[in-house]
Amino acid sequence: MIREHAQAKGFHPQTLERWLSWETSARDALLSLALDLKISENHLRDLMDWLEEAALRDGAAIEALLARQSIDDIKTDPRLGRADKLKRIKEQVRRLRFPRLAQTEDEIRQNIQALKLQPAIRLSVAPGLEGGRLQVEFSAATSEELANLSAQLNQAAAKAEAGEIFRLLAGRESDEKTK
Amino acid sequence: MEHFKPEEVIVERGSEESSICRNICRALPEVPFRIVEPGDLFHDRAAAAGERFGTAKRKLYVAKHRGDFFKKCPGSEGQVCCNYFVINFASNCPMDCSYCYLQDYLADNAELKVFSNVDDLIAEADRTLSKHRGVFFRVGTGEITDSLALEPCTGIVRELIPYFAEQPNVLLELKTKSDCVDSLLDLDSKGRVVVAWSMNPQPVIDADEHGTATLRERLSAARRCQEAGYRLGFHFDPMIEYPGWESDYRAMIEETFATIDWHRLAWVSLGVLRDTPALKRTMRARFPKTQLLTGEQVFCPDGKLRYFQPLRVDMYRKMTSWIRRNAPTVKIYLCMETREVWQQVFGYAPACEKELGNQMAPSL
Repeated sequence: MIREHAQAKGFHPQTLERWLSWETSARDALLSLALDLKISENHLRDLMDWLEEAALRDGAAIEALLARQSIDDIKTDPRLGRADKLKRIKEQVRRLRFPRLAQTEDEIRQNIQALKLQPAIRLSVAPGLEGGRLQVEFSAATSEELANLSAQLNQAAAKAEAGEIFRLLAGRESDEKTK
Repeated sequence: MEHFKPEEVIVERGSEESSICRNICRALPEVPFRIVEPGDLFHDRAAAAGERFGTAKRKLYVAKHRGDFFKKCPGSEGQVCCNYFVINFASNCPMDCSYCYLQDYLADNAELKVFSNVDDLIAEADRTLSKHRGVFFRVGTGEITDSLALEPCTGIVRELIPYFAEQPNVLLELKTKSDCVDSLLDLDSKGRVVVAWSMNPQPVIDADEHGTATLRERLSAARRCQEAGYRLGFHFDPMIEYPGWESDYRAMIEETFATIDWHRLAWVSLGVLRDTPALKRTMRARFPKTQLLTGEQVFCPDGKLRYFQPLRVDMYRKMTSWIRRNAPTVKIYLCMETREVWQQVFGYAPACEKELGNQMAPSL
């Protein structure tokens, strides 16, 4: 079945070989997902990387990772289309694979939200938090608007949440542990 | 550690009278030698495809190097560079670390080779060093091989040290994971040679640094080199993050500084595990059980995968604090890291590669 599916989708032989090298229950679990969501080869390879590595690290079976409640909830959610399901399931698997990165990203996001900036100001961080910088984007149509946005940014910079964002980006979370 | 003993030595015709070939003959009398014409040197390359990188390490080729010996270290795009130069007197390495970038870098040219034309190497180095006496050069031999693992059979470093010891504007760094220092101990390096070790805790050595010296053996060799008058360097690189890494690395640092006199250390570098998607594929195929693939690594702008920045900055800061407790003023630098990471770890970043290179020089 996997072979037929891979052939029909034109997958590279290495992808197929890798998939077939998995335990039967693991490869069947991924096949079920691949068929339901019509996963393209690139997305499938990402999932294979993350699942293999998380399973190796955690000593877990791949099928057990894919059977998690958080993933099943998305799979069975009738409100979601196929593309949305795939996007959210990939994010869940990414979170399994990169739990501390995901947690740091969540904390930064929560702190950004807590700054309660106008929608005209967008704060973001680079993928993977590389660079250690907070990106700030805003645009203004008048000098008054620019002054307002700047003032709001100034106020935000003085808040504890802003300091927390930079602390998280600088990897200072475990300061206390080193003492 | 068990010293390298190839299954066969294959000598390119024209190299059989070289001092390197004679050294090898003397050191390995029981190993079969074969002389081949230059065109036939690698005729079995295609036949040995598959696990070629691993099998290539079992034979030793002796041949002339026809390219440049002396090169600027390529560094990595966008990273702070330490203005390092490299001399390649051999290609590939008899040891077999799971994370070794040579698995990918030398995939199509995997034969373990030592170059017989040492005179050409010295002449080329001399042209550069004499022409630029006002420039201070840090030169390493461990870019595409281990500097000392082949030394018991080739004696090549023993031939290089007397030349470099006489140069006023160079520091030769011999970087190794071996304990093969015996042939160096009676030479006077005149302060121009740093013997440096890549360091990892014993659990990492056991899991991923196959065929290398144990931590104790490395430290014992370092101590002997220090007693013989050499400056030392330590490269805590690649640092591996895993549950319990802190206690293992901290214990290693304490053991290191309890064994050697840190006042006579030239430098210490820190670097985290770096790989690429291609290298990961090779690692997965050659070392499927290695835990190195499971770290929280992300893509960096230079195309390499590293632990995500806050995590690795935290690692660097911890390592720095443990080192500083044992060696308060030792020079520490980061290998292949961005200015932002330098800033987060040390509170400053070198303005340019020259500045970092110069910081290494004055203390010598």
